[in-house]
Amino acid sequence: MSDATDLTAFRAEVRAWLSANAPKGWREAYQAMSHAEFAQAQRDWFNALVKGGYAIPHWPKEWPGGGRSLAEQKVLYEEIAAADCPRLLLSFVTTYHAAATLMECGSDWQKQRYLPAILEGEFWCQGFSEPGAGSDLASLKCKAERRGDVYVVNGQKVWSTMAQYADKCMLLVRTSSDGPKQAGITFLIMDMKAKGVTVKPISQIQGDEEYCEIFLDDVEVPVADRIGEENAGWAVTSATLSAERGLTLMELSYRMRGALSRIAGLIRQNGREDDRGILRDFGQLVARADSACAIADRFLENRMQDIERVGDASIVKNTYSRVLREYSLLGLRLGGMHEQYRHPITFGDLNTGNWMADFMNSYAWTIAAGSEEVQRNIIAERMLDMQREPKGWVL
Amino acid sequence: MIELSELRDAAQKAFPADKLASPRDAAWALVAEQGWLMITLPEDQGGLGLDRAAAVAIHFELGRVLSTAPLIPALLALEGIAASETLADRDGWIERICGGEYVPLNMLPGSVADQDGVLNGRLSGFFEADMAGHVLAGIAGQYLLIPTDAPGVTLHKRDLWDESRGLFDIELTGYQPDPALQVAAGAAAAALHDRISPLAQLAIAADSLGGANAALKMTVEYLKTRKQFDRPIAMFQALKHRCADLKTQIAAAEALLWQRAADPAASIADLGVAKALANECYLATTEEAIQLHGGIGLTEEHSCHMFMKRAMLNAQLSGNGDHWREAAGRQALAAYA
Repeated sequence: MSDATDLTAFRAEVRAWLSANAPKGWREAYQAMSHAEFAQAQRDWFNALVKGGYAIPHWPKEWPGGGRSLAEQKVLYEEIAAADCPRLLLSFVTTYHAAATLMECGSDWQKQRYLPAILEGEFWCQGFSEPGAGSDLASLKCKAERRGDVYVVNGQKVWSTMAQYADKCMLLVRTSSDGPKQAGITFLIMDMKAKGVTVKPISQIQGDEEYCEIFLDDVEVPVADRIGEENAGWAVTSATLSAERGLTLMELSYRMRGALSRIAGLIRQNGREDDRGILRDFGQLVARADSACAIADRFLENRMQDIERVGDASIVKNTYSRVLREYSLLGLRLGGMHEQYRHPITFGDLNTGNWMADFMNSYAWTIAAGSEEVQRNIIAERMLDMQREPKGWVL
Repeated sequence: MIELSELRDAAQKAFPADKLASPRDAAWALVAEQGWLMITLPEDQGGLGLDRAAAVAIHFELGRVLSTAPLIPALLALEGIAASETLADRDGWIERICGGEYVPLNMLPGSVADQDGVLNGRLSGFFEADMAGHVLAGIAGQYLLIPTDAPGVTLHKRDLWDESRGLFDIELTGYQPDPALQVAAGAAAAALHDRISPLAQLAIAADSLGGANAALKMTVEYLKTRKQFDRPIAMFQALKHRCADLKTQIAAAEALLWQRAADPAASIADLGVAKALANECYLATTEEAIQLHGGIGLTEEHSCHMFMKRAMLNAQLSGNGDHWREAAGRQALAAYA
């Protein structure tokens, strides 16, 4: 009872703060921006949230704004979605993945050096995927050799979100080729300003540059910046990847639900209010979007009660990403020829109403963060218990 | 307060997963014995007073075993009777129904002409009417209890593809309704419809998702044991992905169903479209189930087809998917005016 009252009070507090502090007119502003200006706008919004005490609700309570329960975090993200604030694209990997990795696996020195700096605006990126290591991440080849107090790193990383603006990188490197491929991986913290680091943004099909390639040429990383033991980086990686479980998809699902108004607007604009085919497809989409919200909610509730099962997160992700695709496709159908002309894109949002851009951007969720196919394998093998292929199969 | 999980456990114990479409009369007796007929009836009327999610839990479990016991039309009729302000001996009816007397509500529309109080025409969608002494008929503008053996009342059993259920038409020829058996008329009938229809959507959605879960489980079990090319065919990724997609689709529709069952503010379109999604899952799962079972899925001896046939029939009950999708579309459009 008092819990529910507290949540209601917290919701009111967040709502009041957002109405006073959320960026106004950001959608228009984000359209006219350069990528660098976008990054700055993201920094400003993050700093505002830090000041308000809402940037790191999931951190422990000794941090300002930390120690929020999962129920409170859910309220916060519901309100952020409802207020249609910009998403925190730039700081996301930092406050979730980097922070969780440091807190769970970092040394005391690393925690003292890196965690406070996050709140002062230091941004992190993730150096995991490689051209030859996507779904099969453990096959990564980026090589690090120990020379005294440093590792010397050579290789290439790819699909690193916002790496062009990052200060630090969570870098997975190969330190051994003996034994199973997972056993030769080491987790390093790399300074993005270090000598030998070259970052090249990737031009995406919709004209954004959210991801980068990182080229590493004899980059020296101090041994003190290794997280965990040498060759024990794979276990650290699971701490990184399980950092954020469900809040983002809940927030995105609610944002998508809210953005159905754009479809309604198009139906009216096209005079198709009595087109039964369109109405049915719209009704179906609304129900699908509601089901995506419902399953994201349920996932978080299960987490709060500690009854999350392996594979639940995969189901939530595959539901959201499919409905997002369906959403953009209905928008494209209604938009007709108008959408075949290029219009400015809005950075950092998935439901912008630029339907070609939204369609193309929806692949970010069927491909990134564990592709739809990898999630299907998890669901089939871990939830439905279907047998795995034998290991060690050689072509 | 009885937890949903307790209800579901009890239902699984009473109706074990490996006994599909068990003989009807015994199944019905068991349903009555479990007290499920009084599950949502208010306590002051002698019921258990549980919320509609409790009924959803039971319908879900009965859908899983292709139940032959017609709990859905019985609970819908009871809801109508319990809310009646005109029915003579209402409490007697409630008591008899809770004790196991079967009175179904029709779940398909019919066409009946009312000429100076004399009824002629045909009503459809009475499940298992051969075991009913009376049926509750929703006819345009009124709800009537009709004795199945009265003069001018003839039952016609329809030959259904779905063998887990029996469906009857009732033909009325010069039938003169008994005023004492009128459950609602006029505005009261419209109100009753609004009260019953949401429950019908939830019930059929639950039956569908229970069935979809069972059909998927059966299919996955088959894939895990069937060997070809020296391995269980469940190992093939092409088949895994199809099963994973079905699982995902079912899980999302289920999350929506439970959420709406617990939401008193959900509109009839919200519930109808949740049912449409549930039906869609059931159809998709059973369509795939036959394909993934291969040849054995085409045989009568295997139970694959029974799920498919039930899914097909469910899709026709209480408004089809086209109807509810359109209604949900209109509702959402109006909400964004």
